[in-house]
Amino acid sequence: MRKYVEDLDFRGEEYVNEWTPWSPQDIRRKKGALEAARLMLNSAQTAPFAGGVPSVEAHIVYGQEELETIARKMEEIAHQKEQWKEPFLYEAVMVRDSDVILFIGNTRCHETPLDAGCGLCGGGLDCSYFYEQKNQKYGLVDITDRSSKKEIDGPLCTARVSDLGYAVGSALWTAHTLMVDARPFASIGMAGMQLGYCRNSGMVVGVPVAVKSKNPYVDVNVDYHLINMDKVLDNTRKIYQTARIIRGFDYRKWIPKPQKSDEEDE
Amino acid sequence: MGHLMGIEYCQEHVLEVAKNIALAVHKAPQITGKTDVDVEIIWGEDLEPIIEVMGPVAQVMRYVKWDYETIKSCYEKGENPVVVAVGARTARSNLGWDCGACGFDTCKEFNKYAKENRGGGQLGGPSCNWKALDFAIACDWACAAAWQYRVDNRVMGSLGFALNALGFMPHMDAKIGLALGPPRDMVYYSREEMHKSMTYEMDKQDMLNCVPNLFTAFPGGGTPMYKNKDEWWAPPEFMGMAYSPEVMEVMQQVLFEQVPEIVVKHADKIEARYKDKDK
Repeated sequence: MRKYVEDLDFRGEEYVNEWTPWSPQDIRRKKGALEAARLMLNSAQTAPFAGGVPSVEAHIVYGQEELETIARKMEEIAHQKEQWKEPFLYEAVMVRDSDVILFIGNTRCHETPLDAGCGLCGGGLDCSYFYEQKNQKYGLVDITDRSSKKEIDGPLCTARVSDLGYAVGSALWTAHTLMVDARPFASIGMAGMQLGYCRNSGMVVGVPVAVKSKNPYVDVNVDYHLINMDKVLDNTRKIYQTARIIRGFDYRKWIPKPQKSDEEDE
Repeated sequence: MGHLMGIEYCQEHVLEVAKNIALAVHKAPQITGKTDVDVEIIWGEDLEPIIEVMGPVAQVMRYVKWDYETIKSCYEKGENPVVVAVGARTARSNLGWDCGACGFDTCKEFNKYAKENRGGGQLGGPSCNWKALDFAIACDWACAAAWQYRVDNRVMGSLGFALNALGFMPHMDAKIGLALGPPRDMVYYSREEMHKSMTYEMDKQDMLNCVPNLFTAFPGGGTPMYKNKDEWWAPPEFMGMAYSPEVMEVMQQVLFEQVPEIVVKHADKIEARYKDKDK
C-alpha cells in the first residue's frame, strides 16, 4: 500500500498581482479563484434536492483559450436572435474578464422527471404536460435524437429545474461567503451546452468566477462589447505609438524642457 | 444588564433569524433579473390553518405526513416553529428569449397557455424555467441563510401546497415553505418526532413498495418471485400491477373534498390580510 509522504519543505514566497494579465503573478491569483470554484461546486452538490436525488453534474473550465472559445460561442449565438444580441455580447466580455467558469447542469430534467405530479411544468395535477410532448415509451424518455430547433429541448421537469436552481444558489452562496465575485448566466450556460459541457444535462447554468479589484459582472457601460477594458487597452496601444512617432528626437543629445519664466531666470 | 435563562429566548429569537433569512431571499442573485420574489413569515396561531390543511394530505402522502407530524408536534409543545414562505411569479415570461425550455417555441405562446392554466398544479405552474431557476436560487438562499444561523430547517413542498391551497401570497405563482426551528439538533432530519410512529412491518412494506427491484428474485423465468420474507420461496409471491380505485378515491376525497372544506374555513381571513395590505 502506498503511504502518504509528508512534504515538510514548508517555505517559500508567492508574489500575486492581477497585473499583468496571464503573468505568473496573475496565474497564482487565478489559482485561488479555481480553489473557490471547486468549493462552490462542493456546495452545489450538497444543496437541497427534491427527494434527495442526485441530478447535478458540473464542469470547471479555465485557461485563456478555453474562456475565449466560450466567449466566441456566446457571440455566435448573440447574432442568431435579436433579443439575445446585447446580453450575450455584453456577457461574452465578462467571460473574457473571468478567471474560471463553472457550468452546472441537471441531468434529469429532460429525461427522468420527479414524477410527483406537482404541476410546476404545465399547471396540471399529473405529469402529462411533460410526457405528452416527449418521445417516450412506458414513461421512459428516448433522448437519443439530440437534434433540436430550440436552444433548450423542452418541456423540462420544472421540479428538476428547481433542483438546478438550488445547486446554483448554493454555489453562489459559497462564492459570497468566500468573497469571490460570481453570478449566474443563461447565456454562458447555453454556450456551454453547445460546446458539450455538462452534456448529460437538459439545462445548464454558467457561473463565472473572478477575483479582481473590480467585479466584472456589474457596473457595465453601454455598448459594453465595444467599450471595455480590453478594447481601451488595445486602443491605447494603437494611439500612443503614433503619438510618439510624430515628435521624434535623439534623447541622448537633446530633450525638450519646459521654458523657464523670466522670474526663474533671475 | 441582564440574565437570559432557559430556552424560551432562543425560541423567540428564531423569528428574528427568519427576518434575516427574508433579507437573504431578497438579496439572492437572479439569472433573469426580472423575477418577482416575495417572502412572508408565519408563526404562532397563524400556523394552525397550515397544519390543519396538511392533515388530510398527510394521510395519503408519506412525505407530507412526516412534515405535518413534525411541525404539529413542535407547535403543540410550544416550541414556536416558524415558517418562512417564499413565492415567485413564474407563470409569465417577460424575457422574450423564445428558448423552448417550457415546451413552446415562443414566450408569447407560453404566456397564452399559462394564462389559461395558471395555478392548476399542486405547487402552482406552469413555469418559465428561467424564472423557476431564479425562484429556486432564492429558496436555496433561504436554506443557506438558515444554516448560516445554525437553526434547524427544511424546505418543504408540503408547506408550499398548504400555502397555495389557503391563498397565501395570492400574487405569486410558485410557493414553498421553509420550516425553521425550534432551536435544537435534528428536528427535520432523522426526525425524533416520528419515533415509534411506524412499525417494523410498515417500514419494510414501504421498502417493498418503493424499491421493488431490490427484492426481485431470478428474473429469467419472466415472472420473478419477490423476496418479501425470510423464506421467500415458501410459498412464492409475485408482484402485480393494477389500477387502484381505493387509492384514487382517497386522493380525490382529500384534494377535492377535505382540503377545500378546511380552506373555506380560513380563506376569507387570509384573503382579508392581503386586501388590508393593498389598501
